[in-house]
Amino acid sequence: MKKNNIDHIIELSNELRWQIGDEFHDNLTEGIYADAADIVKDTVKTSDSEKRFRLDAKIDKIVTSKYFGFPIMFLILGTVLWLTIVGANYPSSLLANLFLDTIHPWLRSGAESINMPWWLSGFLIDGVYLAVGWVIAVMLPPMAIFFPMFTLLEDFGYLPRVAFNLDALFNKSGAHGKQALTMSMGFGCNAAGVVATRIIDSPRERLIAIITNNFSLCNGRWPTQILIATIFIGAVVPESFSSIASLLAVIGIAVLGMAFMFGVSWALSKTVLKGEVSTFNLELPPYRPPRFWKTIYTSLIDRTLIVLWRAIVFAAPAGAVIWLISNLHIGDESIAAWLINGMDGFGFLIGLNGVILLAYIVAIPANEIVIPTILMLTVMVTGIGGGAGAGVMFELDSINATGDILKAGGWTLLTAINLMLFSLLHNPCSTTIYTIYKETNSVKWTTVASIMPVILGFIVCFLVAQIWRLF
Amino acid sequence: MNNYNPLVALAIFFLIVGLLYVIFRPVKGWFWLLKKSIKSNEKVIIEDILKQLYHFEDSDNKVDMKTLVQVLDFNHGRIVEAINKMTINDLIYFDSDILKLTENGRDYALRIVRVHRLWERYLADKTGFHKTEWHDRAEMMEHKLSHDDADLLSAKLGNPKFDPHGDPIPTKSGKVAEVTGVELPLLPVGAVGRITHIEDEPDVIYKQILAENIHMGSLIKVIENNSTRIVFRSEGETVKLAPIVAANLTVARIEKEVAIEDNVARLSSLEANETAKIIGISRESRGESRRRLLDLGFVKGATVSIDLVNPLGQPNAYLIKGTSIALRNDQASKILIKKD
Repeated sequence: MKKNNIDHIIELSNELRWQIGDEFHDNLTEGIYADAADIVKDTVKTSDSEKRFRLDAKIDKIVTSKYFGFPIMFLILGTVLWLTIVGANYPSSLLANLFLDTIHPWLRSGAESINMPWWLSGFLIDGVYLAVGWVIAVMLPPMAIFFPMFTLLEDFGYLPRVAFNLDALFNKSGAHGKQALTMSMGFGCNAAGVVATRIIDSPRERLIAIITNNFSLCNGRWPTQILIATIFIGAVVPESFSSIASLLAVIGIAVLGMAFMFGVSWALSKTVLKGEVSTFNLELPPYRPPRFWKTIYTSLIDRTLIVLWRAIVFAAPAGAVIWLISNLHIGDESIAAWLINGMDGFGFLIGLNGVILLAYIVAIPANEIVIPTILMLTVMVTGIGGGAGAGVMFELDSINATGDILKAGGWTLLTAINLMLFSLLHNPCSTTIYTIYKETNSVKWTTVASIMPVILGFIVCFLVAQIWRLF
Repeated sequence: MNNYNPLVALAIFFLIVGLLYVIFRPVKGWFWLLKKSIKSNEKVIIEDILKQLYHFEDSDNKVDMKTLVQVLDFNHGRIVEAINKMTINDLIYFDSDILKLTENGRDYALRIVRVHRLWERYLADKTGFHKTEWHDRAEMMEHKLSHDDADLLSAKLGNPKFDPHGDPIPTKSGKVAEVTGVELPLLPVGAVGRITHIEDEPDVIYKQILAENIHMGSLIKVIENNSTRIVFRSEGETVKLAPIVAANLTVARIEKEVAIEDNVARLSSLEANETAKIIGISRESRGESRRRLLDLGFVKGATVSIDLVNPLGQPNAYLIKGTSIALRNDQASKILIKKD
């Protein structure tokens, strides 16, 4: 009887729903909102908002104006990047001095004095410790400078205006204006950029922003670009222009990255991401004085340290692997030499070489150790003097000496250009891959985001190499 | 590595790229064609025939074998084969030359139509596919979804009554709601009505309607109607259509004098120092984005003005309830306002 009753009620409710029609739900929602608005109008009084709003409006008029909007934007973002890259040099070299030139030899002699077997001290000190120390020295200072500055701008309320100014460009490639912010964040660190995509609340645009964030040249790759540009690009022009030429080359690579970001965003939104829900809205919050110390504290804890910790976790095994492949032998060759010989053919085809490819494979955990690994491997396979031994990464203070090693490894201008391109277009570092997985919770999109850039990199390098050799 | 020629390498590369393009290019790629031909089995053919017959009978047209073969995009032999099988299974019968649905056949057809329209509703409300794609995607899905799946989907969507084009969705028990209204060319000058249905076939005409930015559910007022063109005002815009295009719009006439105010406009037409009151959000804004707009305060009666004009044209920032919200033009065009 009771069951019968319930069935009857369900039947009746279906019938009634049918009669009410589709618009009922909407009208109800709108009614609730309208009522709430009326109540607010009657009861809530605002007095001081008027005055504050006028100042806000004035700032907004300037930062979004036709003539000043874009120059102001480029100036601010350019200054932040410049301060980061230049400002990070000093603390970086201090840390490198401490970790790599002071503590490292000290640890080694300590290991010797307690008669630690060579393979254990090599594995732990030359492998694991060195990689971790390197990553901290190169990574920590730029992040500790970049993130607080960026967070201050965010806190002040300027960044939403950047998204507002640029949205039309991103709209054309099927993306969200806020991607301008996550892209800029990516110049600091791609993993942080991926986390920052949480501000994009439309699912399709957020996925686009996550997958294309890798096209922002991150802090770990700027030094590589600058070093290679200085050695090879700066050398082909008259000496008085060499620094400006290498600077332009690096900026050119960064701009190329943005072009790829737009192109890939467009392609994604037209193909695989077509069916994802897309909504747009952008709130322009009122300006407010940034809470300076709180911002610095939270940006150091939330962004810098978390990213650094993940990088360390991934760098430690990478250091071990680098040491092992250089010191374990199969037959009369080390594993590294076998791998390099195996990949040399393919490397040559795309204008690189086996050493570079191997370095990019073992340095998946951190782009920072690519150059030291390349130098170590080059010295090892060419058998020239210098370096610190098999499996011990090193870098030289003198740019000329670094260039000499690379040239001894068979590098040409083409190798340098393609390395710069490949440094832009390759898989994200493992920290970023892990973060992408955390944020999307999808193996599929993580795979796309990891594989797609490296395929693009192969294609671009291949084309450049063939065309170069034609002339 | 010495005997290698960059030209040869390039040639091989472009050969591979070309091959991949031919195989995987959208819609006409060999891979997709192959996939489609494998899938167009007997079940699909039978279901498509049933659906066509249903639509023809629904619009009081009679079908013989010849028209049917013309309408369907299958091999003739297979259609004949399928029709034979359907007569044996008591889905259709011949009334002299004319093909007709049996009671069973009609039930089956209604189920297919139900799935098709439910899926269009789903695509409209829950995904980001553009409306030009709804129809083709639903065509594929209607053969895949089982009866039970359709019920689940329907419940999830809140048992909708109409699909996004205004076509009624048959209920589980086969009930079909009536579409009210007449074809637009039948309305006299001065008549006021609401668009209740937009026909999505044929594709060419549907695209023209979409290009004019005509929305389901919007109020219109006919201001010119002759054999060469039909002109009407809707949401502050004037739209001119050829009669053949206008015939694909169904409009329910509103008899009592609902004041269709002349200064109703779309938010996108607001100028920098004007203020306006919001009248409502067009039915065209659906699902997630509609709810977001309501959340942000774009509700009936709210006052709105332009806060900031974008240096690149869009999105403009609108001042609503003391907050500055940027909307793109295609969103703003779905919010209806009355200028002060």
